[in-house]
Amino acid sequence: MKFGFVRVLLLIAALFVAIPVHAEQRNFFKIGVITELSGDLVTGGNITKRGYDLWAQEVNAKGGIEIQGKKYPVKLVYADAQSNPAAGAAAAERLITQEKVDFILGPYSSGVTLAVAPVVDKYKIPMITGSAESPLIWKNKFKYTFGTIPPINFTGATSIKTLTELKPAPKTIAIIGSNDAFSKATAESYKAAAEKAKLKIVKFSIVPSGQDMTPLLSAVRSMKPDVIAFGGHDEEHVKFVKALKQIGYTPKALLMHCGITDKAFIDAVGKDGDQIFGTTCWTGTAKTKSKVLWPNAAAYAAASQKAFNNPGDYTQGGCSAAGIAFQTALQKIGAKPGMDEATRTKLIQALEQIDVQTFYGRVKFATSGEFYHANVGLDPLTIQIQGGHVKTVGPKASVEAAAIYPMKEWKSR
Amino acid sequence: MMELLPQALTDGILLGGIYITIAIAFSLTYGVMHVIDFAVGEWIMFGAFTGYYLNKWTGLDPFLFLPVIFVLYFGVGYLIQPVIHRVLSGTKGNPFLMGLVFTFGLAIMFRGLALTAFGFYSNSIPSAFSEGSFDLEPLGLTVTIPTVRLVGLAYALAITLILHYLLKKTNFGLGVRALAQHKDAAGLMGVNSKRTGSYVYGIYVGISAMTGVLLGCILSIGAQMGNEYTIFAFFVVVLAGMGYLAGVPWAALLLGLVQSIFMIYFNPSHTLLAVFAILYIILLISPRGLFGKGV
Repeated sequence: MKFGFVRVLLLIAALFVAIPVHAEQRNFFKIGVITELSGDLVTGGNITKRGYDLWAQEVNAKGGIEIQGKKYPVKLVYADAQSNPAAGAAAAERLITQEKVDFILGPYSSGVTLAVAPVVDKYKIPMITGSAESPLIWKNKFKYTFGTIPPINFTGATSIKTLTELKPAPKTIAIIGSNDAFSKATAESYKAAAEKAKLKIVKFSIVPSGQDMTPLLSAVRSMKPDVIAFGGHDEEHVKFVKALKQIGYTPKALLMHCGITDKAFIDAVGKDGDQIFGTTCWTGTAKTKSKVLWPNAAAYAAASQKAFNNPGDYTQGGCSAAGIAFQTALQKIGAKPGMDEATRTKLIQALEQIDVQTFYGRVKFATSGEFYHANVGLDPLTIQIQGGHVKTVGPKASVEAAAIYPMKEWKSR
Repeated sequence: MMELLPQALTDGILLGGIYITIAIAFSLTYGVMHVIDFAVGEWIMFGAFTGYYLNKWTGLDPFLFLPVIFVLYFGVGYLIQPVIHRVLSGTKGNPFLMGLVFTFGLAIMFRGLALTAFGFYSNSIPSAFSEGSFDLEPLGLTVTIPTVRLVGLAYALAITLILHYLLKKTNFGLGVRALAQHKDAAGLMGVNSKRTGSYVYGIYVGISAMTGVLLGCILSIGAQMGNEYTIFAFFVVVLAGMGYLAGVPWAALLLGLVQSIFMIYFNPSHTLLAVFAILYIILLISPRGLFGKGV
């Protein structure tokens, strides 16, 4: 009996001990991709997939990543996180222990990234997420996790600042966030920025994800805020705009996050999408210059248009930039496929040191502080949808068009 | 804050109308076939996409297509039901559990199929009804009623009344009620359980598909939208009493009102917690639903 108990304990202990990841000899880089290919976040998951695919396609079209005179193609191995953090963590285990991937391109959502990051730390496998933006990821200081999109608390303040510079300046704001890691962080960053800008916050609410927000917006309408700011995902953005229109309330400014820069959002809401403000860090018209793969943002947007009939948004771009960051770091240390633990450690050091200009802008990961391993090389942008196109309206140095303010009433569109 | 009460009640009733449309046919099919169809949300999703594409191709208002969508999906349901009937009428194992697993599998398959066929983007169905709203301020009430939601409530009430008439005033309804009470006895009285089951499942799939069009006009559509509606349909039907059709409108309205009032007067992030707490309390007091008439 006692022997049996010891055996069970040993079995449990064995399950918790990390299985050593052995290097495999091969002539291509095997890259694991964990993203949300089903479930509620399937849209974002597939947009990240497009970003990673486009990078791999472009690299392979050039023969692969050149390391010490030899070119090594890249092969992406996908694992579906099912929009579920636990499934994401299980997918990471499988990619690392069974597929023996060299490194990982990370999930779309912050929630799944937060579940995957401890797993890649455990196995010492480098991961760059091309999408996740919650500040929680970087506050945890995961050694093996990096991100190309700046955290929302780094970018969110810019849009609030742009709005406060409009004439007549807005005085009141209602902030609503969906209850997931990213959207909640978005709402909180808007709140912090609004407090700093001395905007009066008439309502701050976090609502369950995916719910009909009409009753809440009816309450908000009675407070007549000048600005309504919302943190959510693609489907929620559509529902939010429709609910505001249905209750007949047009704020002077409606601010949503980067998700609205995707052409699909503009197609879904049509003319109602016009004049909505957003926060982002990249657009297809951004003034960037690069020597790696795509020479600038416009060239990337054209390549994306050709591949997917969609110019791509900041999430897709961030994912392609994640590939470029790995590519640059691999070349820097001369790492070949089938990396051992020592090489992967060197890769982490190289990622911490890289400072590269890409079509997406500058990629430079922070090595300390609250943004640890997040990309702090980009300047946040405030955008507005104008005539169905995304235009940068702030900060002043990046302005493409003057902001349209106040918003045109829904009923007169 | 009390000035918001009329609007909160209005929003709650309108939300309740949406829940009636989701749950009423689901309750009917449970009452007759004794199967919890986990694919209810996916029938809604398929209907929504059918409305979306018909609108896109013809430019006509999606509400005009409701009869076409009903007939189309009635046919689909009518053809699929014998397969479910076969699973449920097996003699080995536990047919009830097999039915659950079968519809659960259908839901997953439909979701994957939709993702491949319709893509991963969220969409919206435009309708002339989506544009306007009724403002009751001239009557001294700070209440706005969105036209499309009012249409939704009218649709919910119409479906409820039609089903009520069908069940209580026709021979077909008599057969359905007999089948719901005792399948074998109904068979002995001359009710063809297979054919009646197929008609009921067809009606349920047809109504669910029409509901999808309505939801696409009010909210949004996407390949993964079904899951959320399955949960709410299940919630309403359990609250109403499993298979007790007359309880569905009241359960749906209660759910809508709780959600609306909680969202306005309490912490919105705990809305679903409140909704489920109420469900648990009611089931503790009355395990057969609000009226104690469920199966």
